[in-house]
Amino acid sequence: MSFEYHEPTSLAEAVDLGARFGADGSFLAGGTDLIIQMRRGKVAPPHVISLHRVPGLDAIEANGRVRLGALVTHRAIERCAAFRGQLRGLIEGAEVVGGHQVRNVGTVGGNVVNASPAADVVPVLLALDATVTCVGIDGERTEALEEFLVGPGRTRRRAGELLTALAFAKPEGRTATAFLKAGRRQAMEISVVCVAARLKLDSAGGRCVAARIALGAVAPATWRAHAAERVLEGRVPTPDVLREAGRVAAEGCRPITDVRASARYRQLLVETLVPRALARCLERMPERAG
Amino acid sequence: MSKLALTLTINGERHEVLTEPHRTLLDVLRVDLGLTGTKENCLEAECGVCTVLLDRRAVNSCIVLAAQCQGREVVTIEGLARDGALDPLQQAFIDHGAVQCGYCIPGMILSAKAFLEECPDGTEAEVREALAGNLCRCTGYQKIADAVLAAARPNPDRR
Repeated sequence: MSFEYHEPTSLAEAVDLGARFGADGSFLAGGTDLIIQMRRGKVAPPHVISLHRVPGLDAIEANGRVRLGALVTHRAIERCAAFRGQLRGLIEGAEVVGGHQVRNVGTVGGNVVNASPAADVVPVLLALDATVTCVGIDGERTEALEEFLVGPGRTRRRAGELLTALAFAKPEGRTATAFLKAGRRQAMEISVVCVAARLKLDSAGGRCVAARIALGAVAPATWRAHAAERVLEGRVPTPDVLREAGRVAAEGCRPITDVRASARYRQLLVETLVPRALARCLERMPERAG
Repeated sequence: MSKLALTLTINGERHEVLTEPHRTLLDVLRVDLGLTGTKENCLEAECGVCTVLLDRRAVNSCIVLAAQCQGREVVTIEGLARDGALDPLQQAFIDHGAVQCGYCIPGMILSAKAFLEECPDGTEAEVREALAGNLCRCTGYQKIADAVLAAARPNPDRR
C-alpha cells in the first residue's frame, strides 16, 4: 500500500478532492473493505480521501423521512432506539455483520458502495425502497438504490462522486420488517443467502397492501423479488400464500455455485427463508394503524 | 511519499509519531512504539488478535490507518493494569484458567473491556456475541466466557 492521504474537513472540500482525483482517488469511510482490498493489492488508489472529519456524515435522522448519513456505522444502526419497532429488520441486518470491531467502524455508505451481492444491510434498504444521494462537482443527485446497484463491486456512482446518504420513508400504519440470514455459523460469516422483507397490511381485513422482498447472495447484485411481491399484494397473507411467494422467489432468482454453497441449495434456502421472514413480519405486525 | 506527523494518546500518554499514510495503527503500536502486546495475525479483521480500544470502542487495529487516529485515544493491553495491579478482567482470565497459548488473549480482553463498559450486566449469550470477532483456537471459549462474567457486575438474575 502506498498513497497520498487527504483529510477534508468539509463536504465541499471532500467533493473537490474527489473531482480532482477522479478514478485515482478512493474515499475512505470505515475501511473494513477498502484497507483489506488495498493490502491484497486488488485496488491501489494513488489518493485516499478519508471522510471521518467531514461533519454530519455520521448522522441518523428519523423524523419523517429516515436519513442515514454515509458514515453511520452498523453499531449505530443496531443501537438506534427509533428503529426498534417497524424498522427492526434494519437492526437485524446490521447486527449480523462481522464482530463488534467491524461494526464499530464499518459504515452503511461503505456497505452500499462496496456493492457485495452478499451484503446484509443492503437487502433491508432495498426492501425499504431506499434512495441513494451522491454529491459530485456538478451537484447533488438522488436515485433509487435498486437502480444504483449494478453488479459485484459495481454501482452507478460516478468517478469522484461521494455517496452522502441513504434515505427512505418511515414505515407507517400496519407495517413490519424482518431480516434473516443463512450462514455456516452464527457470526463472522458472509451470507450464503439473506432475506429482507417488509409487509404492510390494511387496517380492516388484514390484506397485504404492499410487500417487499429483497435477497442477498442470489444474483450479481442484491435482488428484489418483484414477482414474489405481487403474489402477496391484495391478498390475505395465509401460510399458503407465504409459501407461494417463497416458491416464486426461488424460481426467479439466479444464484451461482461457489465455495459457500451450490446454486440449488441457495434456491432451497430462498424457498424456506422468504416465507419465514414474511411470517416474522406478521408476528411483529402492529395491531392498529399508528 | 510525504510523512504525517501524528499525535496519538496511547494508554493515557501522548505520543508524537512520524509515519507514512499507509501504515496502520497496528504497525505504529508494534513497530514504532514497541507495544507488542497487541498481536498481528490475519490482517483482514477476521481474527481479532489486533483488537484495541479507539475512543473506548473495540476496533481491529490492522485495518485502521494510524492517520485516522490523529488526536484520538487508544488503549492497548499494556494500558489496563493500574499501579502494578492487574485489571479485574485480566485477573479473572488468570483465575479461570482462560488462557492457553495466549495469542488471542489481549484482543479478547479488550473486546470484553469495551463490552463490560457498555453492558456491565451482560448475560453469557451477550458476552459470547460480543467476543464473536475474537477467535481462539485453544480454549473452546467456555472459560473465557466464565472469566468475563466473573469480572462483570454481580447480577443474581443473570443466566
